[in-house]
Amino acid sequence: MTGMDIRSVIDGFDAARSRIEDMVQDGQDFADVPAKVAGRINALHPKRLNLVVSDVIVETATTRTLRLTSPDGGLPPFLAGQYVNLFVTVDGVNTSRPYAISSAPQDRGHYDLTVRKIGQGFVSPYLVDQIQPGAHLTSTGPMGSFYVNPIHHGRDLVFLAGGSGVAPAISMIRDIAARQLPVRFHLIYGSRRSDDVIFDAALRDLEDQHDFLTVTRVMSEPEAGYKDRTGFIDAALISDLCTPLDRKTVYLCGPPAMNTFCGAELRKTGMPDKRVHIEANGPPVAPQLREGWPDTTSVDQSVTVTVSGRGSFQTTAGEPLLNALERNGYEAENACRSGECSLCRVKVLSGEVFSPSEAKLRQSDRRFGWVHSCVAYPLSDIEILL
Amino acid sequence: MKDFDAIVIGAGNGGLSAAVALQRGGMQTLLLERHNIPGGCATSFVRGDYEFEVALHQLSGLGTEKQPAVLRHVFDSLGVTDKVTFIEEHHLYRYAVPGVIDITLPASVSGIVQTLSTEFPEEADAIQKFMDLCEVITLETYMALPNARRSGDPDVLKRNCRNFVKYGLKSTQDVMDEFFISPVLKAVLGGYWGYAGQPLDRLPFSDLGVMLYAYAAMKPWHIEGGSQALSNALLESFLEAGGDVRFNCGAEKILTEGGGVSAVRTEHGDVFTCNQVVSNASSVLTYNQLLDRPELAKNAREDFKSRRMGVSGFVLYMGLDCTPEDLGLEAATNFIATTIDDKQQYARSKGFEDPLGCLFTCYTVGDKTMAPQGKSVAALMCLQYGEPWDSIAPEEYAATKFAYAEKLIALAENVIPNFRQHIEEIEIGTPVTMMRYLNTPGGAIYGFDQTIAEHGAVRDRVRPVDGLHLAGSWTGMGGFQPTYQAGAAVAASILRKQNTKGNAA
Ligand SMILES: Cc1cc2nc3c(=O)[nH]c(=O)nc-3n(C[C@H](O)[C@H](O)[C@H](O)COP(=O)(O)OP(=O)(O)OC[C@H]3O[C@@H](n4cnc5c(N)ncnc54)[C@H](O)[C@@H]3O)c2cc1C
Ligand code: FES
Repeated sequence: MTGMDIRSVIDGFDAARSRIEDMVQDGQDFADVPAKVAGRINALHPKRLNLVVSDVIVETATTRTLRLTSPDGGLPPFLAGQYVNLFVTVDGVNTSRPYAISSAPQDRGHYDLTVRKIGQGFVSPYLVDQIQPGAHLTSTGPMGSFYVNPIHHGRDLVFLAGGSGVAPAISMIRDIAARQLPVRFHLIYGSRRSDDVIFDAALRDLEDQHDFLTVTRVMSEPEAGYKDRTGFIDAALISDLCTPLDRKTVYLCGPPAMNTFCGAELRKTGMPDKRVHIEANGPPVAPQLREGWPDTTSVDQSVTVTVSGRGSFQTTAGEPLLNALERNGYEAENACRSGECSLCRVKVLSGEVFSPSEAKLRQSDRRFGWVHSCVAYPLSDIEILL
Repeated sequence: MKDFDAIVIGAGNGGLSAAVALQRGGMQTLLLERHNIPGGCATSFVRGDYEFEVALHQLSGLGTEKQPAVLRHVFDSLGVTDKVTFIEEHHLYRYAVPGVIDITLPASVSGIVQTLSTEFPEEADAIQKFMDLCEVITLETYMALPNARRSGDPDVLKRNCRNFVKYGLKSTQDVMDEFFISPVLKAVLGGYWGYAGQPLDRLPFSDLGVMLYAYAAMKPWHIEGGSQALSNALLESFLEAGGDVRFNCGAEKILTEGGGVSAVRTEHGDVFTCNQVVSNASSVLTYNQLLDRPELAKNAREDFKSRRMGVSGFVLYMGLDCTPEDLGLEAATNFIATTIDDKQQYARSKGFEDPLGCLFTCYTVGDKTMAPQGKSVAALMCLQYGEPWDSIAPEEYAATKFAYAEKLIALAENVIPNFRQHIEEIEIGTPVTMMRYLNTPGGAIYGFDQTIAEHGAVRDRVRPVDGLHLAGSWTGMGGFQPTYQAGAAVAASILRKQNTKGNAA
């Protein structure tokens, strides 16, 4: 038998204790809460999605749309413009690539991914040439911040697309149409030739049906006799089509070279960076041309990467660390493969690593040696913590 | 022979400080974290040119280099003080309700007394007395009260903790009513209620009094590079001491043998044996899901029934293309409301009706490193429970989030006109976001509701499993200072026992 609790001398102690007893009466033990939390998170932000290819749609000679459904039931909602990272095994290497969802968020039964084959590519040729209906694939949940943000993007939207960069654009257009949003949308779409235009018919239909939409096609390598706009999407063309620019928001999504070029052209028009949103598109094509890359190091220089406590392998300075890890059988979480999402973060314990401007590192990551492996280049032998 | 002396589950503030202290104390420690980054709440993320602090508004309890306070000593012992740069804030906060009051409190006790006495001259004496009370109640809470409780003598408690005995467990509202006449003055001094998540009539006075004094006397601080810098520094210290860490590696089960912990199984199926487990996950998750035999934690679950799920937050992380001066901001911390009534403000945290009170923190006021020159980062936040979000269907989630963000912006623009036009980057965190990143029920950010019945002096410790310890906001006060201290304290008690055992053997 214990005596009186000495804390009873504190004013309010006894009252608080009896309050506790009252609370027990209508309280709960939260036994079902962990499962509820997990279910809630999984419905919105699943870590992985199991997908089945229900259809492969031929868009152009080099482009296919993979229609993906979930054998587990519904797919999580997404914002038009977002992507999923698709995991694949190519030539025995487990790797992945991010692809924008081209279908409308309102089509909850499937995601369409529209993939264009890249000449030197590792994954896109596999997806375009080899994937058949019935194939099983895995992806991340939808992610990314390349979407129409109603808070500050305004109502006058311009989208500069190149090649497969039209994928997020058409999702945005379909979304705007379905929700009847009070915006105007001008798609300026660059392709090489008219038989390279992805979603040509779908875009024509959408343009016929909806007043909010204007589509301008621009051919960079037009076939003989092509009548419409040709050349590149440059400052003159943008000003010509979009003046006045001052209240507009511009989205830009194309191959890396186009993103760089059009980004600079937009600046020439006087468009502030603030209202230009450029979608990520992989690691830099030529990291050695970036500011900070040492003159003394060639991209072919051989370096040794040691994964602390696990092993080591040889790679070259010019290969993104994440790719090298994957080729050598190591797995690192990742999604954007463009330096933005930070999921592929690893710690460099020793050696020198180049991080181009794509690497959206936290200030303190730089100080403590963390890098984003998808856009990290080992300039010397390195040891990392994985 | 066990694989590790101790395993720490979760690299939030409590987990990190426990892990560092254990490893530095000589115990071989494994730290498991389900995300790819240490910090839990104490983190930041990058969008465009901006880096956004996720959770830390003002760090309390640090003191200055010349007059170090408790938290600086903790950081010293963890070996991180020299690894980060602390930035002193010179204002406590601005409290603005249009048409009623707009006042900025300096970050010192005498400054507060002076500022408020000028504004409320007829209550000058009471203001001084109130701040004196905050000071003594802080000292009693941290020093005299634990000693008195150990003594087991009610007279010692009465004699050495006179102020705590009289005021400690009263509601802050009751104490304010005893001291002051002006409801505006009460509201201004009670401004920090939001940091505890409970309105003044439910918040124990010792919580608010200690908080107010801790910020005023020991200064509010920012960390260069945000709280992530401190999380990274703690991890660095842990690794330097020889600790093992696994990221992207959640703990799936805490395994027991004969009522004591024996091992931890990870989500990847690895099993690591150990004698001590410190869980930085919520107590709800730890006892209801992680523990292999939940029946061992019957007491804990009975105890849960007397607790209520705590509040979460709705936050806009914003990169602005202007300076704080352009927005007329002098203080980093701005409490903005359309009513001085905290109860009405709190009531709105339970649904989607227009918020009445919010916090606009402009980090760039003190720390110029989080945004490019000429630009700023800010977080705009209001309290919100997770519960209303339970009824939002997944496909309605985004629209609900944007609609509520509009309301919050409109509220803040009452005091900071037109900042919307400066938004260059914006990211929205809802209670569901907090749930996702913290894995806490309801996305709770301070643990259970910190009412009087939740106060540490009222509760008894529940410790159902030998060798299983909790460190974090679920077994004490939430917030940065309390959780860093909780982790260090748990580690200290484990080390103490370990050493006594070691000596006896
Ligand atoms: C958010 C996002 C959304 C995207 N959406 C789409 C979409 O909807 N549709 C679509 O088709 N694509 C999309 N992409 C691009 C897509 O993810 C792939 O990059 C593309 O399919 C090429 O992959 P690959 O494996 O074929 O080429 P990769 O092997 O990745 O090569 C791509 C290019 O990089 C070069 N390269 C390869 N390795 C190196 C190296 N070590 N060093 C330097 N350069 C190298 C190659 O020579 C080639 O020019 C998106 C990308 C991002 C980031
Ligand atoms: S995978 Fe996104 S930053 Fe590397």
